[in-house]
Amino acid sequence: MIPAPVKHKFLTPGVFVLIIIALNGLVFLALRFIFGIGSVTNLDDVTPWGLWIGVDVAAGVALAAGGFTSAALGHVMHREEYKIIVRPALLTAMLGYTFVAFAVFTDIGRFYYIWHPLIMWNGNSALFEVGICVMIYLTVLYIEFLPLVTERFVGRVNLPDTFAFLNRPIDKTLRYLDSRLSITMFIFIIAGVVLSTLHQSSLGTLMIIAGQKMHPLWQTPILPLLFLLSAIAVGFPMVIFESLIASRSFKMKPEMHVLSRLGGMISPIIGIYLAFKIGDVFIRETFKYILVFDSTSWMFISEMGLMFAAFFLFLSRKITNSPLGLFIASSLVIAGVLLNRINNFIVAYQPYYNPVRYFPSVGEISVTLGCIALLVLAYRAVVMIFPVISREKRDIIKNI
Amino acid sequence: MKKIFLIIVPFLMISLVIASGSLFGTKIQLPVEKEKTVRQDKKNPKQKIRMPEDHSKQGIKCTTCHEGEYPTKNDPMLRACLRESVLSEFNYVGEGPGEILIDGMSQNYGGVRFSHKVHAQMSAMSTGCTGCHHYNTSVPILKCADCHNKDRMREDVSIPDLKAAFHRQCMNCHKQWSGENGCNTQCHVRKGESKPQKTDKLLSHPPLTEPGKMQWETNYEQGRIVTFFHDEHNKLFKIDCKTCHKQDNCVKCHDKTKQTESGSKYKKSLSEHHKPCISCHNENNCQKCHRDGEISPFNHGKSTGWTLKSYHSKLACAKCHGNQMPYKKLDRNCTNCHKNFRTGFNHRVTGLVLSDTHKDMDCKSCHANQDFSKPPVCSECHDDKSYPSSRPGKK
Amino acid sequence: MKRRDFFKTAAAGVSIAALGSGKAAGSDKKLSEDRVGVLVDTNACVGCRHCEWACKTAHQLPASDLENFNDSSVFSEYRRMDAGSLTVVNEFENEENKLLPVHVKIQCMHCERPACVSACIVGAFEKREDGAVVWDSGKCIGCRYCMVACPFQIPTYDYDKAIQPMIRKCDFCVERRDNGMLPACVDICPNEALIFGKREELVRIARQKVKRKSDAYINHIYGESEVGGTSWMYISGNDFGKLRMPPLALNPAPGISESIQHGIFAYFVPPVTLYALLGVMMWVTKRRKDEINNNGNGNQDGKEGGK
Repeated sequence: MIPAPVKHKFLTPGVFVLIIIALNGLVFLALRFIFGIGSVTNLDDVTPWGLWIGVDVAAGVALAAGGFTSAALGHVMHREEYKIIVRPALLTAMLGYTFVAFAVFTDIGRFYYIWHPLIMWNGNSALFEVGICVMIYLTVLYIEFLPLVTERFVGRVNLPDTFAFLNRPIDKTLRYLDSRLSITMFIFIIAGVVLSTLHQSSLGTLMIIAGQKMHPLWQTPILPLLFLLSAIAVGFPMVIFESLIASRSFKMKPEMHVLSRLGGMISPIIGIYLAFKIGDVFIRETFKYILVFDSTSWMFISEMGLMFAAFFLFLSRKITNSPLGLFIASSLVIAGVLLNRINNFIVAYQPYYNPVRYFPSVGEISVTLGCIALLVLAYRAVVMIFPVISREKRDIIKNI
Repeated sequence: MKKIFLIIVPFLMISLVIASGSLFGTKIQLPVEKEKTVRQDKKNPKQKIRMPEDHSKQGIKCTTCHEGEYPTKNDPMLRACLRESVLSEFNYVGEGPGEILIDGMSQNYGGVRFSHKVHAQMSAMSTGCTGCHHYNTSVPILKCADCHNKDRMREDVSIPDLKAAFHRQCMNCHKQWSGENGCNTQCHVRKGESKPQKTDKLLSHPPLTEPGKMQWETNYEQGRIVTFFHDEHNKLFKIDCKTCHKQDNCVKCHDKTKQTESGSKYKKSLSEHHKPCISCHNENNCQKCHRDGEISPFNHGKSTGWTLKSYHSKLACAKCHGNQMPYKKLDRNCTNCHKNFRTGFNHRVTGLVLSDTHKDMDCKSCHANQDFSKPPVCSECHDDKSYPSSRPGKK
Repeated sequence: MKRRDFFKTAAAGVSIAALGSGKAAGSDKKLSEDRVGVLVDTNACVGCRHCEWACKTAHQLPASDLENFNDSSVFSEYRRMDAGSLTVVNEFENEENKLLPVHVKIQCMHCERPACVSACIVGAFEKREDGAVVWDSGKCIGCRYCMVACPFQIPTYDYDKAIQPMIRKCDFCVERRDNGMLPACVDICPNEALIFGKREELVRIARQKVKRKSDAYINHIYGESEVGGTSWMYISGNDFGKLRMPPLALNPAPGISESIQHGIFAYFVPPVTLYALLGVMMWVTKRRKDEINNNGNGNQDGKEGGK
């Protein structure tokens, strides 16, 4: 099994649909940058954070957690059998975080000041910590990705005629990087795991300061822990989910021997998460809010229901051994965590003066969907250029 | 050893006195909560709270105003303003000026022509003078600016500044009255305009007509009707208007915003409803007021069995019954009140002029056992029936 | 109900903080003993809205003539601050007397332990020594986290501006006060319903008023201890819930969040420890793998992994 660029047609009907969704998103994005956030979103002084923060940023960060969980598994614990998932997960994380950064850029009012946190520090702010960690982690992710670039291009740099004179210096740089990176990579890999742990949890700390504005079902001091656990829980399902989709899309055989074993590890993690979550509900006696059965309580019930369903599905060997079963179970975890982030950032935020309940506008949804479409397209493009996805040597030769 | 004793003993005595004083709740008062001493405004040394000269004559305790035992000129240790609790000077409505021009800050604001007399007359029905003149211990009425600083930025903000003091006095009623709170609508003349012209406003409030009998119908099956004799309370019992009309103001009669109708729909609680009566008539018996029909007006003879005649009917109740409420039943013996009637008593007031023969007699001769409640019977003295056909004197 | 739960949450949070680090959370700057505040006496407020006008004028926000502010028809609906106003007066029905409605001015409360200061990613908010909480436009990136954090929902944002949108809130007229003037609203108030002074002194006065006129005031000084105390405080004859002041817990708003932050980052010990642990783990597993490879003569590609 070695990683290699996927040879496949880039344009398919599905890709066309994605491009349209992306373009639609970009139109609204342009409006936001011309006429301000208010012109596109339903945000107001009561609800300053909406879909873009809740889904694009918070859920985006959570769903990119596969990067650090698989790095921990493959690199830190040296479980060789999982090596093949590390690169796709790394790419997901890299692209995911790039889009998180982009979403932050879109959502903050003064996007041109996005560099301010680098020099203006506020150690008390959870957002500062998240911001700095994400910035560094993004850099780390790019560094971790560099070996793929060198691997692909060392000795193969071939720019068009006008820039041909650059071929040698670029090649030299790549070679230098390759030699340096192989020695220092472990620093970045560990840093990546540490940084992820930090900001995944701090993302949970973010909403704690909202205090009584946040519904008691979600407002808990162990929110950072819950965020970290749920991020770890969603890491492998996300890897499985992508791998299955990628193999389907590129008409390859799913890597079931690795994915099944990954699937076997998910239940205990979800179990720990659920234990904390349920413990929290009982210790703070918030179950009475569940029993109200209003829209808020139903959101909590569905969030928990999804995670419970996934927990039981992943327990079964039969499920983890079948691609469809794995796909469904993974989707449930992803949906559960996505819903959890939406709940934490949007549903639970119920301020005292709340004349109109927030619901994302067409513009917000368009931009979010556009970003996801772009991300998928970028993923598709990258795996076709760089050696990300591993296959049997003979398959590669056959394809070529 | 002795020296120590000498020091300790006075201390012990002082503390004993304080302890006994506080025990019996007499003169010596220990401040319950130590309130910070109000400092004089250093920026404006002229703005000092003046101590009226005749304080001691007013019988005001030092501790009413001063926190510490030894106030000095530099540190008077004044408590924060006491408002109503320091009032010893009362004036009558007619004594005040008719109209006052308030233009002390006319460089900033248009002046205000204040019809003092009308307001005084109106307040006679509600708070009285004290509603506005809330701190006064001596004869010359203190100016507002004596206590209320003209500067808003000042050290002691425990009492409002002059601007606020004036506005609060006026606005609290006027806003309720008209709902307006603009500067130029009611009081101030616009800046730049000439001085306020003498308005055609009434300089005197038309006399108030008091209701006589008032009657309410309740929803109760039994005791449906409650009758209230306003005139009795007012004229007969000589009760001051503001005893009951404490919070009344202009709106009660002059409602510009026409909100009284909705206001009357507002349901008072049972205790609120009965408060005006109950505060004097400590009554548990509902039927005392709630009757099936109208009750008759108060009649001293019917209620007490002692009819008030001529002179007595003109007297205020308190003249005989004292100020203690509720009134107690009195000893009907005339001497109970008329203790010194003998010297210069004119028997004519009883409706009988004594003849010369009887004039010189001792009272006891006719009124046996000094019982003056019943007129004596002639036959008690004149057993031979030789007494004149008429009476012992002219009627 | 919600409030009690929050206390529970808070208690749990504090205990976590105690586990996390012994250092008291937050509190970067010492507040001056003489820090100022404003006591809002809603019994004295007549709802003339002059403060709204004065505030707009003092902050160069568009405002019509002062006379237009006497218009009380705006009271028909509850208003909040927006991008064009830093303070707003609302009218509430007075149950004691329908003819005398209660008016309540709202603006930034200038918390003693402000959530916005703690939350702001770039430290654009500052709690000045004199009590004022001010915002620095030069730092702000427009993330609106302050709005999420503020327990009183005060900061507003220019949603219709693409370039240089502003976060707006009462700045306690720091510029005017630095020039020896009173805050604009306090200055114009005809009834001095806004009493400006040292916070300590105001608390004393408020207590005195509430105590002496127990029939006119309820025994609650709003802001004395809510979210750890605020510079602006309110006394009133009506329950503050009816005046739509949020019922808040007494612990400082940023307390738990800061405790957790400081717990996670206690002098960078936890992250560094984690880093070291992972390093050791990596090294151990690498060695084991190498041993297996050497023993079993495995021909694994050694390029990936530890190196």
